[in-house]
This record gives sequence, C-alpha cells and structure tokens, in this order.
Amino acid sequence: MSLPETLPPPPDKTSDSAMSRRNFLRGSAAFAGLSALAASLSPLRELGDFSSSEEFMQKYYKEMTPDDMKRALARITREVEHQYGIRPHVRDLRPMDGVEFVYALNLTRCIGCRKCVHACVAENNQSRNPEIQYIRVLKMPHGSLDVEKGDHNYTPKSVPEPGFFYMPVQCQQCVNPPCVKVCPVNATWQESDGITVIDYDWCIGCRYCEAACPYWARRFNFAKPEIPPERLNPDMAYLGNRPRKMGVMEKCHFCIQRTRAGRYPACLEVCPVGARKFGNILDPESEISYILRTKRVFIQLKEEMGTNPRFFYYFDK
Amino acid sequence: MAPSPQPAPPRPGTRTLVVLAAVTVGFCALALLLSADLWGRLPARPQIPLVDPAFLETTPWRQTYSDLAKAKEDLSDFDCYACHQKDKPPPLRFDANHKLLVPDEHSSIVMGHGTHERNNLCFNCHNEHDLLTLQIRDGTIVKFDNIPPLCGSCHGPTYRDWEAGAHGRTNGYWDRRRGEARRLSCANCHNPHSPGIPTRAPAPPPHPLRDPGPHAPAQSAPTP
Repeated sequence: MSLPETLPPPPDKTSDSAMSRRNFLRGSAAFAGLSALAASLSPLRELGDFSSSEEFMQKYYKEMTPDDMKRALARITREVEHQYGIRPHVRDLRPMDGVEFVYALNLTRCIGCRKCVHACVAENNQSRNPEIQYIRVLKMPHGSLDVEKGDHNYTPKSVPEPGFFYMPVQCQQCVNPPCVKVCPVNATWQESDGITVIDYDWCIGCRYCEAACPYWARRFNFAKPEIPPERLNPDMAYLGNRPRKMGVMEKCHFCIQRTRAGRYPACLEVCPVGARKFGNILDPESEISYILRTKRVFIQLKEEMGTNPRFFYYFDK
Repeated sequence: MAPSPQPAPPRPGTRTLVVLAAVTVGFCALALLLSADLWGRLPARPQIPLVDPAFLETTPWRQTYSDLAKAKEDLSDFDCYACHQKDKPPPLRFDANHKLLVPDEHSSIVMGHGTHERNNLCFNCHNEHDLLTLQIRDGTIVKFDNIPPLCGSCHGPTYRDWEAGAHGRTNGYWDRRRGEARRLSCANCHNPHSPGIPTRAPAPPPHPLRDPGPHAPAQSAPTP
C-alpha cells in the first residue's frame, strides 16, 4: 500500500470552512446515489392508486356489517369521483325473494349486429382500451352448432349474411358454476337469484376461474381499465358495474344494478330484433316462463359439461 | 495481496469510500439502464376508437302513428283526404303481370309483404271506405294507433307470442310492481308494406389485446 505517500497532506483544518475536495466528492456521490435510488424505484409510483389502506382493510363481502358496507360504498364513491370527476350512485343491491333470473336468446331472430356487445360495455363501465367485452357474437354456418366453427371477428358490410346464424355468448350463470369451485379465496359465488357475482375487492387475480369457465365468459384486467369519463355510467352496484382495477376478474352479472332494481338488462333493451328475453323463472306469468314452456328451447350451451346454465338458446319460426 | 511484514496503518475509510463509489456507480448505471429501456417496454397499445353512439340507441328504428301523435309531430302524411275524395274508394291499377302499380304519390312505399308479395292489395289492410282507419277482413275497423290485432288476424301465432311478451322487444321493468314495461308495437320494427327486417352494418368487432402477429389464423385479423 503506497497510498499514504501519494496522497496530498491532510487539509488544513482551519480552511475547512470552504468545502474540501473530499467532502464535495462525498456529497455528490451521496446525492447521485440517492437520486439513482429514487429513479430506480420510480416504477413503483404506478402502484400508488392500486390500493388504499381502507380498501386493504375492508372485510369480505359476506362478513360486512351494514356500517362496513356504508363505508365501503362511500369509499368507492369518493374514489370514482376523484378519478372520473363524476359523482356516482353506488348501491349494494341484494337478491330479491322468490326471484331467479333466467335468460333466453332467440337464435332465429339474432342478426349479429353486435349492438348488445357495446350496450353492455357502456352500461357496465368496461375498459375501452384494452378492450373488455362480456359478450362475444359467434357467426356460425347453418346446420352446425359446433362453436369451433364460430367466428367472432366478422366484418361484413351488412348483417345478417346468408348461410349463417349468430350466437351471442356471455356468462351463462350456471346452476353448477365451475368458476366458483376453483376460486381459492371465495371472491366469486352464486347468489340466491342465480347470479354469479365477483367481489372485485376480494379477487386476487389468479385467473383460475377464467381457466375453469367452459364458455370463456370471464375477463381479466391485464392493464388499468380506461373509461372515458363522458361515457361512465354513474348508476353503479357494488357487485356490478363499479369501475374495476388492474388485476381483477370481471364478467357478465346480468346487469345487477338494473335487474335487481326491477329493470331489464342493457343488452336486451338495445336488441333491434327482440331476440333477447329475460325474466323471473319462478313467476309462471313471466315471458321467460312462457318461452321455456312453449318454444323449442333445446340448447344449454355445452350441456355435457354438467354446468346447467341459466342461459337458454332457442329457435323459433 | 500478501500482507507486508510491517503494514502501514490502513487509512480508515479508504475501503468504505471505494465501496460507496462502487455502489453509487452501480445505482447510476441501474438508473440509466431503467430509463433507457434497454430491454424494451410493452409497445404502446394502439388507439381504439370509441363506438358510435348510434349503436347504443334503444329507441326503435321506426316510429308508429301513435308515437308521432304522442310526440305531437307532423301527421300530415296520415291526412289521406287532403288528396283522396271521400265516399270514393281509390282505384287499384295493375300492370300486365297483375302486379300492383304503386302510384307516384306513394312512391316511398315499397310493396313486399308476404312470400312472393302475396299480400299486395292496399285494401287487405286499409279501409277503402275510410282511409283514416284500417280494417280486418272480418270487417272490424282498426285505428292506426292499435294495429296488432290487424296484423294478428293473419299472423296468429306471432300475435299470441307478442301478447305473451315473447315476440318483439320489451323495455323498462321486468318487475311490473316497480315500473311499467314498454312493449313495442308491430310497426316499430316492421314496415307494414315490406315487413322483413332490413340488413344493417354491424358494430365493430373486438380488438385483440396485442397484434396477433403473422402466424395468427387468418379469420382473427382485426379490422382497422
């Protein structure tokens, strides 16, 4: 070690009121180090709106007291207002007694115009980019019900095209839902009116349910959802269309914010040919009971899976 | 490095300085690397245009007489006796193939009701003795604002389905205790003169999360 000989003599203590070379170097090194640390940690900033402590401490939906729910709804209202500048009307709607929802779709009527797809996106505050859509409309050749022959990217000048029929597929609200069985944290479950719901604050994003669903009905938020504020639907439900965050699953919930308030789902109300039918199967007077009684209702999609969907396809004259 | 027999007392802090400098250099390099995106970020997602709000429209594409009357709109099209004479049924004219000739005054009407246009006579539905009303073949007079019984006089099963709520769209409330359901009338969807539902342009297809790449199946190519 010959360093001691080559080093300059120690600085005069009396002249240290000005900055010594060594202290300057130390200071700059420390500053550079800290800035570099900050820069290398900066990607974590994007996690800032990922979760609040209040949300983190929130209880499981089924264990929430009415007060807990009130607080959760207030938090969601606050967060939506902060993010979109629109004050939403968020409710926690519970299933009604004596009601079990069933959907029926008339394959003879459907013309494949995809209005239901986009009405659903608008109603349920789905991400516009990346695009999340609950409904896929399959264009299928006449004479086959093989969904592998279906094409959902058709773009003709006008629909329907001769030789094809159209089969919209969305969550089938199974009586025996495989997605519920695989959820490791019970973030998704079936309610007494037949709707399988998701608690977006409880979901851990493992996507087991997406893999378990035979209908490809579940969607994952790979990125932070993007919704233009002018298209935000402010009528929201906790288990329904409140804005989701990155990393959680979502799917069709029969427009819980509408149907549990007595209204028809959005996809039905926009259908130009009246192919979509919805109602309470426990009410013998409802149109859905009439259809299941009198029409040739013969498909539950992938019946052999044993999922027993509450979504029926039928043909008509 | 072999220790010298008489080691000079090591200057305290030299090694510390070296380590600190190395750490600093390391962090600087890391920061540079991170900001330079050497291994690339996910490519920016392509813009997806918002869907045309026309596709979200829930009002039916046709307005019936009663819709127009309710909205207090122009009903002059229904003032038949502005041109026709009362007490004188308008004559029907046919070409050499016995096909009805639609007069120029009614050129907006395209006749196409029934297979092979079999329902092609005006007075199958219109009342020739009072053009402001319609008539069923059994003689029942029907007003313009209540046409389903007229249509149902031929289309019985469809009329039955419509009455039960199975044919045609219903908007509003499925739970009739909470609100009213709005049933559409026949002419909200069907043009009585040519009742087939016209074809239309479909709404845009789904946009994939990423460019499917050159090896994707041809049918999944997205439209711009």
